[in-house]
Amino acid sequence: MAQGGASPETLTPRRWLQRLAAQQRRLIGLSVGAGLAVGLATIVQMALLAGWISALLVHGVAPQELLWWGLALVLVLALRAGAQWAQEVTGLEASLRIRQAARAELVTHIEALGPVRLGGLHSAAIGGQLVEQVEALDGYFARFLPQLRLAVAIPAIIAALVVWLDWLAALFLLLAAPMIPVFMALVGIGAERLNRRQFAAVSRLAGHFLDRVRGITTLQLFNRAEQASDEVHAAADHYRRLSMRTLRLAFLSSAVLEFFAAVAIAVLAIYIGFGLLGYINYGPSPQLTLFSGLLILLLAPEFFQPLRTLSQHYHDRAAALGAADALVNLLNTPLPEAGSVNRVGETPAAVSLQQAGVSFLGRGRVLGPLDLEIAPGECVALVGPSGAGKSTLLQLIAGFVDSDSGEVTRAAGEIAWMDQRPLLIHGSLADNLRLAAPAASDDEIQLALQRAGLGELLSALPAGIDTALGERGVGLSGGQAQRLALARVFLSRAQLLLLDEPTASLDEETEAFVVEALQALTEEGRTLVVATHHPALMAMADRVIRLEQGRRVDEVGS
Amino acid sequence: MSRVATLYRELRPWLRLLGRRRGRLALGALLMAITAFAGIGLLALSGWFITATALTGMLLAAGVSASLDVYVPGGGIRFFALTRTVARYLERLYNHDTVLRLLADLRGGMFRVLSGLDGQALSRRRASEWLNRLTADIDTLDSLYLRLLAPPLVALVAIAAVSLLIGIFLPAAGAVAALLLLSLWGLLTIGQARLGMAASQRRVASLERLRSGSIEHVQGLAELSGYGSLAAHREALGQHERRLYDDQRLLGRRAAVGNALVGVGIGVTLLAVLWLASLAYARGALSGPLLVMMPLALLAMGETLALLPSAFTQLGATRAAARRLNALGAAQGAIRDPLQPAALESTTPSLEFDAVSLRYPGALTAALDDVSLRLEPGQRLALLGASGAGKSSLAQLATRLLDPQQGQVRLADVALPTLSIESVRGCVGLLTQQGELLDDSLAANLRLGASQASDSQLWQVLALVELDGWAQQAQGLETRVGEGGRQLSGGQARRLCLARLLLAEPRIVILDEPFAGLDAALAERLAVRLSDWLVGRSLLMLCHQREGQPLAALGVHDSYLLSNGRAIEKRDGER
Repeated sequence: MAQGGASPETLTPRRWLQRLAAQQRRLIGLSVGAGLAVGLATIVQMALLAGWISALLVHGVAPQELLWWGLALVLVLALRAGAQWAQEVTGLEASLRIRQAARAELVTHIEALGPVRLGGLHSAAIGGQLVEQVEALDGYFARFLPQLRLAVAIPAIIAALVVWLDWLAALFLLLAAPMIPVFMALVGIGAERLNRRQFAAVSRLAGHFLDRVRGITTLQLFNRAEQASDEVHAAADHYRRLSMRTLRLAFLSSAVLEFFAAVAIAVLAIYIGFGLLGYINYGPSPQLTLFSGLLILLLAPEFFQPLRTLSQHYHDRAAALGAADALVNLLNTPLPEAGSVNRVGETPAAVSLQQAGVSFLGRGRVLGPLDLEIAPGECVALVGPSGAGKSTLLQLIAGFVDSDSGEVTRAAGEIAWMDQRPLLIHGSLADNLRLAAPAASDDEIQLALQRAGLGELLSALPAGIDTALGERGVGLSGGQAQRLALARVFLSRAQLLLLDEPTASLDEETEAFVVEALQALTEEGRTLVVATHHPALMAMADRVIRLEQGRRVDEVGS
Repeated sequence: MSRVATLYRELRPWLRLLGRRRGRLALGALLMAITAFAGIGLLALSGWFITATALTGMLLAAGVSASLDVYVPGGGIRFFALTRTVARYLERLYNHDTVLRLLADLRGGMFRVLSGLDGQALSRRRASEWLNRLTADIDTLDSLYLRLLAPPLVALVAIAAVSLLIGIFLPAAGAVAALLLLSLWGLLTIGQARLGMAASQRRVASLERLRSGSIEHVQGLAELSGYGSLAAHREALGQHERRLYDDQRLLGRRAAVGNALVGVGIGVTLLAVLWLASLAYARGALSGPLLVMMPLALLAMGETLALLPSAFTQLGATRAAARRLNALGAAQGAIRDPLQPAALESTTPSLEFDAVSLRYPGALTAALDDVSLRLEPGQRLALLGASGAGKSSLAQLATRLLDPQQGQVRLADVALPTLSIESVRGCVGLLTQQGELLDDSLAANLRLGASQASDSQLWQVLALVELDGWAQQAQGLETRVGEGGRQLSGGQARRLCLARLLLAEPRIVILDEPFAGLDAALAERLAVRLSDWLVGRSLLMLCHQREGQPLAALGVHDSYLLSNGRAIEKRDGER
């Protein structure tokens, strides 16, 4: 695991991929080893086949005496199948483990960053990245990396064997050998360019489609849906014509590889044929036999096969690099320095700020320097125009942002955090509440829901607290969602409650209810810090602190 | 058998869609087959040639006079080598073109289905994850031909051809080859599909769960870390991941079995044919070169069969995608046009909601419950209520984005379902809260309202909403608005949507929070201009509260309150 921020250099996508691969070096090595075994078994299989034919045709051995050869062939076939299976399975296992580790590293980093430092990054987009882009690493580790080694090793072994059989024939293969790096570069460049352009064009096209689907209500309202369907078709067709232009070139590079493979077989077949006829009296040609000739012919396609496979997997590499690029960006977001001034515990007050301040890159100082003591059980309202730093102060107390001066201390224990967009998870009502108190009993959950004003709703639900909420809390209205968050606060043991505009965008009824509920919470002796515009909440507070441009301008006791 | 029938039924709409490109598909498959045959021919002929030359060479060495025509087989070998390369290149190019054409068909067709859905079906699906899944499903289906249809077909033809080639010279061996290869084909297609069906169908759903779990984790960081339940939620996330990876592992291992099976199956067939051929050779019933040709032709089959296992192990994913898209097409609540629509006069009609009730599927409470409201021709009304009170649902009912489950909506006392959808939406204009803009130019967005509008008309409405100055400074009417109007500020986007609605000249206007995000002075100026434009039209304005709304400037005197989708009560007008 990377100890975030510990590495002095910034991470590059390539280096990150290397580091991930190093974690599973053994499995990737096993995959390469199994791949080599497949290659060797193939060579033996071809040799047995050529030997059988040569024994039968040249040496006149009776078929019945060849049964042993057949048995050996069956054995080799079984070995080859086993090795091939092992190659795929170990590659897959390496990829699964690496993806798991990569996701864990990313989640750990995101957790360490906290909600605010993720900053401008859209949370849904990050959530998506954790799935899609980590999954996009699959082919690179499972197939491309092992194949990269096999594409060098197997042709080398076959070439060595053919040199031994007939060096002139090997020359035809080896003439192609210096071409191999050229092939790979050609294939690589072709695939890379293809991928980059395709990626861009595909995402543009997908963007166009998504854009139209998102705007479908508008298109319906203006009676334009039919016309838009045709436009969607036309855009896809336009993309086709564009991409065919690049494909024509990009496919050429792999066609070159195909061409060499096919021509090498043809040239070898003709050379061997003429050699066997005795038309060639140069070098090793007179020594060619049906066995050696046939074996060379059978091995020629196998010489090129690993390269062709590699070229098929090349897009895996491009996909992984693209994904790593975005993910490394996330990993390079700096973590707060260790030993930051935010401290937990060691205070008789619930919250204590001394000369604390917050600056954001590009926005300068948004809060402080500020002194603030909040006693346990106190209710403090933060007021002021939007942008005055109310939310930042709450985030500072929670530890989501760092103070760049002074000291911030708060009493140990859980914090209840509530803003305008409560977290709703996929699961039942009870699952949603148990986020705040995993050990809570069903009765406690029911009580908490009742205290939050959801008792009426609860009694209307046949499944009660086991009623499932859809994705993103589908089924709950905004007011109900906010009450659910409130129920979570009731259920939790958190002594410090940080609330950011908890009543904004609520209807009057719910608003009044939330105010009442918060009152009940202060009476329980919990500490409340609430940023608000709402007069009733201000009236309820023991103290009202007005912020303007990050500074306290006055304080009103009540 | 019934399981196959179900599978066929699920895939049938998509096969039919492919059917429209029948000619291209056939030609693409033909090119694939030519590539396969050239590969088989190259190896088989080369084997024959080498053996023939070896045997002739031996005779010559033994002093027996013998001759062999080397030019025809040599030419054949060169021909096959070239054909394979060229056919492969053309096949890739041609089939890629086909797949992209299919993609265009699929996207266009799918969009047509979506545009027939009602607001209810759409609103549940607005989330971006759902859109991702939709595009992923479409992409899965566009590989139907290239992965699941053409390869097994070409493999069958290749099996027939190779068996025939062997069978001409040695019928028994041909029959054995056909039998073994066909069983192998069955294992690689039907067998692999069965092995992977359950897990590959689950895969997309597990991926979805992992995605929504990840998004929850990131969005809920504040609450989760506050309550100290970050680790617990992460454990749940880990469980989703493990479930997904268990399926992936299972599928990967089973596909690997299939891939290994290709080599074993071809090897066994090769051995059987070689044995029969060797016996025939020993009897003198078969020549040496022909004997060699047979196993080599079989070896070249590998390439054709190797495509099958992984494609068919994942068949369930294609099936699940087809099923989801089918369900979307068959979604209840598609809004349909009447067969013989009643006519709507061109004067401003009355709009009436008569005891309408509406409940979204899966919602815990009703969105609207027995609500009645009447808007007379020329009347200007404000409907107040908190977010979620049901205002937007009423607006959707009036524009037939939704139909109520109970009660009726009427225009000029005619029930909406008896009018054509086009005439309803032409008459009632709605400015929605989201105010969707397309990623296109300013002009293109405005002309959604009126496709024939001249440039000067566009500038006119832009001036009305005070966007003309800004547009002139930017690239005029060609200014791009960006994805979802992201190049514009919230207020600008809002005003642009308003301008677009004005261009459409609806008789009844429903404005949902039209002044949200605008400063008070600007809202006041807009309201005054709107008030002039509204002469002869009706207005239903939906807003959160009375305060801060330029209602007087708009000429709105009456207001109603809607709360919890239930009672509508009249609030006193402030004259």
